[in-house]
Amino acid sequence: MSKLLHKELKLSASKLSFLFIAFGLMTLIPGYPILVGAFFISFGIFQSFQSARETNDILYSALLPVSKSEVVKGKYAFSVFIELCGFLLMGAMTVLRMTVFYDSVVYRSNALMNANFVYLGFSLLIFGCFNAIFIGGFFRTAYYYGKPFVCFIIAAFIFVGIGETLHHIPGFEALNAFGFEHMSVQATALAAGVILYTVLTLLSLEASIKNFEKTDI
Amino acid sequence: MSIAEIRHLYKEYPTFKLCDVTFDLNKGQITGFIGRNGAGKTTTIKSMLNLVHPASGEITYFGLPLCGNEAEIKKRIGYSTGAVNYYPRKKLKDIVSVTKSFYPDWDDTAYHEYLTLFRLDESKSPSEFSDGMRVKCNLLMALSHRAELLILDEPTSGLDPFSREEILEIFIMLKKLGVAILFSTHITSDLEKCADNIIYIREGSIVAKSSMGAFSRDFGRGNETLEEIMLRLEKEARYE
Repeated sequence: MSKLLHKELKLSASKLSFLFIAFGLMTLIPGYPILVGAFFISFGIFQSFQSARETNDILYSALLPVSKSEVVKGKYAFSVFIELCGFLLMGAMTVLRMTVFYDSVVYRSNALMNANFVYLGFSLLIFGCFNAIFIGGFFRTAYYYGKPFVCFIIAAFIFVGIGETLHHIPGFEALNAFGFEHMSVQATALAAGVILYTVLTLLSLEASIKNFEKTDI
Repeated sequence: MSIAEIRHLYKEYPTFKLCDVTFDLNKGQITGFIGRNGAGKTTTIKSMLNLVHPASGEITYFGLPLCGNEAEIKKRIGYSTGAVNYYPRKKLKDIVSVTKSFYPDWDDTAYHEYLTLFRLDESKSPSEFSDGMRVKCNLLMALSHRAELLILDEPTSGLDPFSREEILEIFIMLKKLGVAILFSTHITSDLEKCADNIIYIREGSIVAKSSMGAFSRDFGRGNETLEEIMLRLEKEARYE
């Protein structure tokens, strides 16, 4: 697996996948729907799938002395790697907003989603959707990526909308907690994000392996 | 000695059917795989590489069934096609550095020898190479991991006569080293210079498989070339 991840990083990956990790810094933008950062990081990974098709990467990989399931696992390993890099950056910026900028006026007057653990949970949900909808959809044919990406865009913006709306509904204000307020709610949301991300990614991986085994290249 | 055995391959598409394709490939022999465009050469080859899935049939290499031994078998075979261009913007040395990590038998000495023989510059990317050099790139990878069987899908198509001649000389050298080669092409004159056996496929079915001499004797008239034999057989089949 490490060899396939190395191959993904060195041959298949688009530079934009690495560059777009920096969108994790959007966490610091006040008055902005910061969940969009997770979408842009996913968009960076999409660029690698696009570049992989243009460079015959799937055929090259399928001819290597590895099983077809390992080819699929390599693609998922790359995506998870970029997502986790983005998540770590988003996490670091979130902690910065929760501590150093805890009382900052620009963030206190922010009507949109705060950077807290709930935000991180939602970010993981968007990454999970990318893995399930886009990568899972791509491996139905190992060629077409347009429709799966459009479906992912729709799902991602629905979740951005839900994330931005939910904390305005009476009874759900705790979701927009500042700093370490309402930690039980924040921790639960983050844990739910971790679980959903893991489940969506693993289920999608399993389905992709089955589909790719059946696909004629 | 048989290196690969293909038995009763069937594959059906809406407008094309591969039907009972059976043949063997032997050590130290070049087998020409001929047939017009769309006859089933590439589908057969892709089935042999598990890139497409035949409805039925058995494929064994080195006595091992492909199913369940794919990774092990692919360490011992090489595939090249003139049409595909992998990672056109990456430097050859970067592609090689990744590729070699998958092959425990990768031979760096052989790699540098073939690099010199093929006159390839590893600091260049495939997009900077000519079509002939790209074919040589694919061959370079296959030969550096000591492939015992080369499966070549139209490797000389689109090449100038001089480059084709160069590549054919390499095939003859490899044959002497014991490498088996399946050489799919519709440029039959290339096969006259190097092939030991001929497999002729038409509309998804094997029409003939025999040694080069036996093929000319059984199907040829007078001093017909392989191309003339194939053209006549295709025309006869059309009017049947």
